[in-house]
Amino acid sequence: MAPWVVRPMDKSERCTIHEEKRHPRIGIYTGKGTSHSWLWFVEIFDRLGLFDIAFLTETELRRDGLDRCDVLAMSGGDTFAIAESLGPGGADNLRRFITNGGLYIGSCAGAYLPLRSSKEHLNLFNFVPAKIANITQRLPESVRIREKFCTAYGCSFVFHPVREAVQVATNGFPPFRQAPHLTAPLYGGPPMIAEGDTQVLASYVGFTDQTVFLVDEQLAADTVLGKAAVIRQQMGKGHLHLYGPHFEHPHFAKANQLLIDGMRYDLARDLLRPHDDTPTEETISGEVCRELLRDIKREISNSRIVAVGLEPLSIRWVIGNKVYEPSKIREFIEPLWKRIRPLEKLNQLTLLPGQASRWREAASSTTRVLRRLKRDTDKGIDTLPAARDTFEALNRICSLFLDIYFRTMRHALLQSQP
Amino acid sequence: MEYLASNKIGIVDLTTREILEEELEDDLVLEKIGGVGITRSLYDRFADEDPVILGTGLLTGSLVPGSALSVITAKSPVTGRVSHAPLTLDAGMELKYSGFDYLVIKGAAVKPVYLWVHDGILDINEDNDLWGKDVWAATDHIRSLMGDDLIQVLGIGEAGERASDLAQICINYWQSGDRMGFGGLLGKKQLKLIAIRGMGLLEIAEPEEFVEHCAGLLSAVKSGGAAKIRGIAAMAAALGAPDLDDWLKPLTHKHMACFNTPLPTNTFVFLDEDPALLKETTVAEPGFLLTDISPLLKLKRLGLPAADACRILRECAKRGMDGAAVAELSEKAGLKDMGAIQGALSTLKGPAPTAGETAFSPWAAIGNQDPATWLRRQAVAYIFGLDPVFALIAPELTEEKLLDIASIGTELELTSETLDEVVAHITGS
Repeated sequence: MAPWVVRPMDKSERCTIHEEKRHPRIGIYTGKGTSHSWLWFVEIFDRLGLFDIAFLTETELRRDGLDRCDVLAMSGGDTFAIAESLGPGGADNLRRFITNGGLYIGSCAGAYLPLRSSKEHLNLFNFVPAKIANITQRLPESVRIREKFCTAYGCSFVFHPVREAVQVATNGFPPFRQAPHLTAPLYGGPPMIAEGDTQVLASYVGFTDQTVFLVDEQLAADTVLGKAAVIRQQMGKGHLHLYGPHFEHPHFAKANQLLIDGMRYDLARDLLRPHDDTPTEETISGEVCRELLRDIKREISNSRIVAVGLEPLSIRWVIGNKVYEPSKIREFIEPLWKRIRPLEKLNQLTLLPGQASRWREAASSTTRVLRRLKRDTDKGIDTLPAARDTFEALNRICSLFLDIYFRTMRHALLQSQP
Repeated sequence: MEYLASNKIGIVDLTTREILEEELEDDLVLEKIGGVGITRSLYDRFADEDPVILGTGLLTGSLVPGSALSVITAKSPVTGRVSHAPLTLDAGMELKYSGFDYLVIKGAAVKPVYLWVHDGILDINEDNDLWGKDVWAATDHIRSLMGDDLIQVLGIGEAGERASDLAQICINYWQSGDRMGFGGLLGKKQLKLIAIRGMGLLEIAEPEEFVEHCAGLLSAVKSGGAAKIRGIAAMAAALGAPDLDDWLKPLTHKHMACFNTPLPTNTFVFLDEDPALLKETTVAEPGFLLTDISPLLKLKRLGLPAADACRILRECAKRGMDGAAVAELSEKAGLKDMGAIQGALSTLKGPAPTAGETAFSPWAAIGNQDPATWLRRQAVAYIFGLDPVFALIAPELTEEKLLDIASIGTELELTSETLDEVVAHITGS
């Protein structure tokens, strides 16, 4: 099999994963509790030409959403909210998915989720016998970015000593054979202490010029350095890969490559399902396609314009355990905006029945809710309800848009193969 | 057209509500270069359909100093000639990044509409609340509706709605260089405003060389004779007009430049706030941005105090009226104080002899310049997309350098012979 190489997407080529005979079907969790960081997974899978992607909400995870997946990518966000949303049904399905040979890739909140915990909801996901090092009963003093510094955890606190890029060293074991030293960004992810048969793939070894200290530097070093940054755990026939730092962040190519190396290493030898077209898909082209794309582009542009209009305003919203600033809105919108042009060039869309009208509605409702948020902000009234609606709408439109994008690209790829 | 362009011409028929898009072909650029070269060509193509053409210059929105200009081309109801008016401040640049290089607006709507131009999308929208609003309220309304305060609005007020020859298309809250009565044309089309927002990008053929040349031009301008100009009074003096400085100084709050123009050619005066205030004002409408030299000179000549003159111009902007025409007609009517002039605004009738004798708006005052030189310079500014006032006082931006930099930016061989031909066609010389 040809190597999967991560490199920036350009106009002329996609990545060599096209040469793979069979592509894994990858589920990306986009349900309650996630932050925009699931879109980083989208970015690297797109760069690799891995187009068989399923965007799964908590409802789909509780049902049968994982049944047709080989991999589940669980991004950053609010671990408590994710655990509560998935509930016992989601936990059971996730356990079954992994033990039957599935690969779970958890980053940041997605890494916390399957670690051992006694807390309600989280205790449903005790899959990995590892602990976190950034837990304390006596909260240290925060020196900056207080709003992102800690989360209550029963009688204790999970605190985040640093943010931004940190140095990580791989531990020389497969699947991390390349890049012994690298940097990756930490946005609240765990420094971990492995126990039992948990394999440490990489450890935190230092800070960088970009590292932002949220506590005293010595305390940060004591808490983070030497701890596990990436761990691997076998569970039945499957595996979990847990990343404290965001190895999937698109600006960190070495880290991306290792994440993909790891994924490839632990993919089940026989992928879980045949990767045929879904029989109910329909492909549209020509003027009908152009019109649909123009309607979507109109609304994404409208949303993007409001998002830029909100950015200079000094507001932020606490939703669940996460703090959101206006700049987060474009983190959702830009990945869509940059994929409109490739779709326009292709002038072809592969859709499920009824998806076109849902797409139009989701796009226009995103504009509406964003404009409401801006108007409420201008009027000086409480914007938290509108912000909640906004981020929910953004998540919805991103999932739907990207589902259509990947469905279309996959169809086009299959068409182009002899 | 791959470089320095969005590669798109939008054609809107307000009657049928049909919107078409065409590519901007290299051949058209090679023949007409850009700006008025192409807006005039598009006007001729659609002349039977009473078109209003909006267009960007070839260098509009680029790093070339003064690249703030887009243009409106249409048949002036004031002169009866095909004429051109400047769109400056940030509106010219915004059009360049909106995803359209040129917009052709044909026909007339059955009921009032507005155009929403954004990221390569053109929408004809209705809004029952817009018609009847003054320019300022309409700008606020559309920005609030669309959720962004950076949206650039080309709009008309009550003067335009009643298709007055004194009506002008304003830029956001401020007066433009429209001396041609184009505001009345929009009124006849029931087109209240054109809202523009663009977050596009321009590709440059040879970016490093292009930037290097732009930096060279900027250095030349900054060490040139006009480098010390600050504000509209200094600009008037530089063009050979009578001095406005002492008259305006007590009201002057700050000077403001158009997009990427190294000299601030506009002046913001405070009328209902202390001009020396150095913190955010709490007054909702503290003053007015002076963008047009001519009405100031005329109102000063009438003997009005600067504050009264500026209040009249603020009222003109709200109503969407050409301040120069108002000043001229007020003088003719023997109106000599603010109350009388403001009281007569809804009854003043044109045409006012302020549209000049050429195809170009005399907004960039001719001052003490040779008319032929002025005309040539205006044509060049309107072709390449340079602020036409700035172009008059920045001789460093030579035609040779502009052609050179345009060729570097586009990879097209643009020659002085082509420029001569386009200028001759536009000016009729």
